[in-house]
Amino acid sequence: MSSLPRRLLLTPTLAWGLAGLGAILLSLLAAGLFQQDLVNLDGLPLLLRFLSASLHPDLSREMLQLTWDATLITLAYAVCGTALSLLFGLVGGLLGSEVWWLAVSGAGGNQVQPPPLWLGMRALLAFPRAIHELIWGLFFVGLWGLDPLTAVLAIAIPFGAIVAKVFSEILDDTPRQPLQVLLNSGVSPLSACCYSLLPQAFLNLLSYAFYRFECSVRSATVLGLIGAGGLGYQLLLSFQSLRYDQLWTFFYALFVLNGLVDWSSARLRQHLGCASRMALNFKPAAAPLLAQQRSGWLLGLGSALLIAYCFWYIHPDFSRLWSATTGQRLVEIYRASQPPDWQLLPELVSAALATVAMSVLAIAFAASGGLLLAFPAAHNFFLPGGLLNPGRGSGRGSASRWPWLSLLLARALLLITRAIPAPIWALAVVFVLFPGILPGAIALGLHNLGILGRLMAEVIENLDQRPLEALKAQGAPAGLVLLYGVLPLSLPQFLAYALYRWEVCLRETVIVGFVGAAGLGRLLSEQLSSFDYPGLVLTLGCFLLLTFAVDWVSSRARRSIR
Amino acid sequence: MAAPLFELKQVSHQFGQVQALTAISLCIWPGDRVALVGSSGAGKSTLIRLLNGTLRPNQGEVWALGRNLNQLRPARLRQVQSQIGTVYQQLHLVDNLRVVHNVNAGHLSRWSLPKALLSLLLPLELETATQALAQVGIPEKLYAVTRDLSGGQQQRVALARVLVQDPLAILADEPIASLDPSLSREVMDLLRQLCQQAGRTLVVSLHDVGFAQSHCDRIIGLRQGAVVFDCPSPQVSDGMLADLYSAPHE
Repeated sequence: MSSLPRRLLLTPTLAWGLAGLGAILLSLLAAGLFQQDLVNLDGLPLLLRFLSASLHPDLSREMLQLTWDATLITLAYAVCGTALSLLFGLVGGLLGSEVWWLAVSGAGGNQVQPPPLWLGMRALLAFPRAIHELIWGLFFVGLWGLDPLTAVLAIAIPFGAIVAKVFSEILDDTPRQPLQVLLNSGVSPLSACCYSLLPQAFLNLLSYAFYRFECSVRSATVLGLIGAGGLGYQLLLSFQSLRYDQLWTFFYALFVLNGLVDWSSARLRQHLGCASRMALNFKPAAAPLLAQQRSGWLLGLGSALLIAYCFWYIHPDFSRLWSATTGQRLVEIYRASQPPDWQLLPELVSAALATVAMSVLAIAFAASGGLLLAFPAAHNFFLPGGLLNPGRGSGRGSASRWPWLSLLLARALLLITRAIPAPIWALAVVFVLFPGILPGAIALGLHNLGILGRLMAEVIENLDQRPLEALKAQGAPAGLVLLYGVLPLSLPQFLAYALYRWEVCLRETVIVGFVGAAGLGRLLSEQLSSFDYPGLVLTLGCFLLLTFAVDWVSSRARRSIR
Repeated sequence: MAAPLFELKQVSHQFGQVQALTAISLCIWPGDRVALVGSSGAGKSTLIRLLNGTLRPNQGEVWALGRNLNQLRPARLRQVQSQIGTVYQQLHLVDNLRVVHNVNAGHLSRWSLPKALLSLLLPLELETATQALAQVGIPEKLYAVTRDLSGGQQQRVALARVLVQDPLAILADEPIASLDPSLSREVMDLLRQLCQQAGRTLVVSLHDVGFAQSHCDRIIGLRQGAVVFDCPSPQVSDGMLADLYSAPHE
């Protein structure tokens, strides 16, 4: 009877997990974990001074005024950047979607060969996406100086390309029959899309737009570091002049700004009935249509006013876009960068490896930390009536307070870690660690931990409750409900998010590179400050290749983990 | 005379403003095969969720296996729940796990954490799982990924899980509502057979009164949260059914 085939289930998930573990170990070796001195204890007093300043931030009148202005500038950059990126994204998303080209070509979804124009559009969108906002920012600073236009476009261009990619995927995933019916009755492709695809996908698109806005706020802060103004700029100034009391005033402003933006985005999405933000697990809206329409109008009007105000507040000088000096500068930069400096290659290879190692360590740290914090941060878990709370239905009074406490604590931790930009984390970590791969990875990891933890908490809150109810109903204890229900249901999405954030981490290695961590980012910043354009071109090219390689691996892994 | 397996004493339940059940009292005895019939919203699902202890009533007491479910501590409640297997219309399976794990989930009220963890990598108690799957007619699907199965096959996996759990009573919440007539008959036959073999008690909510009469020996008619009739299957007349499904008069 024991001749049954017992199989060790080496699922794709498990195989990728083992590969991931291997990559993490190799990266730890590359970071020199077991070979050299990493910890610099001399910096400990400085770190303590930095931390203790959190208890007495500078709350003088002028300081508060400065903080308010800086916060408004950062918010305005984010709003303008998001508005433009959504505009680019909508156009690019339509043009980059397969369904649009099939509709235009009249093939009507039956064509097997994707049209060449579509592939061209996709390739065109891949380049702006691969370059981090900060590099765009530095490039534009070279062109236009510190005009607000620099910051707005530095956000709008890469984000526009990302939004276009995501929008085109959403459109391609939307059911096509309604579009087909309209096309078959002779409606022109654009009107047909406006009456079928766009309304069908609207909530998904909106939900993603909210998420982009949250990201924009963080990017606008980072862009301040290159001198564009706002909270990031003030943070860096206070850090460099060792005014930690002021630094913490700006930190608190950042927490409030990020907290408010994330909270209102979550509330609005919930109200409009688009629960999940990344177009996973989409369920049709449950809110009554009338209330939805009214609040939809209010939301539209509110955002239009906000966008108009923000453009007025920072008044970016769009005329620079087509001014003659811009053209001249572009030609100069191109001439200075020729011919590329090929002798750089060996150095590039080792820097590229360091960059990959840093991104792998960062995402491993962020994913494990985020996973641990996501459970207490999800409101359907330990709270009364939650999945792992033994009490059922209506709670019996104030049975215990600690689930609420741990919820607040976990959410606060996630907010703090994601609100502080990675370069600032890097500056703080370098107090006690020698510069290199490890501090860069920890800084990136801390920042991404906050983002991943929040995304994962949302995954848990949106889990299909029915299988879990079934497990609970047959008397399985909480730990086993977790093991046989919650984890199998949520792990694929967790991993998908982690892989997606890994791609982002790789791009972000550039920004911690600028404050002295290792890798291609440090090389880039050296070349930028010494106007080494021939080297710069090569480093950027290498970075692009690396980005495409990592994106490819990540998308392969995401596809096989389901 | 044996003690009742389930007993409801003056149970009422409401969700917010909606009154789901009003002052229900009834006993279900070991070996009974009970059908709950009535239109949508009559309170059939609520009743089943009260019986398996996932819902606590606003008023009244629910007793199962001689214990008052309202007053049990979580660990004791789970002990009682391990003797009650539930099958759902929407299956409630973890669809990205393999069939063997969904079936083995029936052991979870008895397994320790390390054992459960190990089994996810190297499936344990394969014989029990294979036997259960053979009994429901799909032994070859042991290692299939659950979401790749058809609706009828997934319903069989859910039944196999209940078999592995080996409970005293099986509750089934509209188990055939999304199946075609011939599959419905097979699933109902299976349910009856599984209960007859081991003397298990069955409580099944059904839309199809025909199956209630052919597969159960007692029928409880619910309308707007109240019991309209409760009698042996042969005594249910067309008039009683017409009355049950008729629109409220006021």
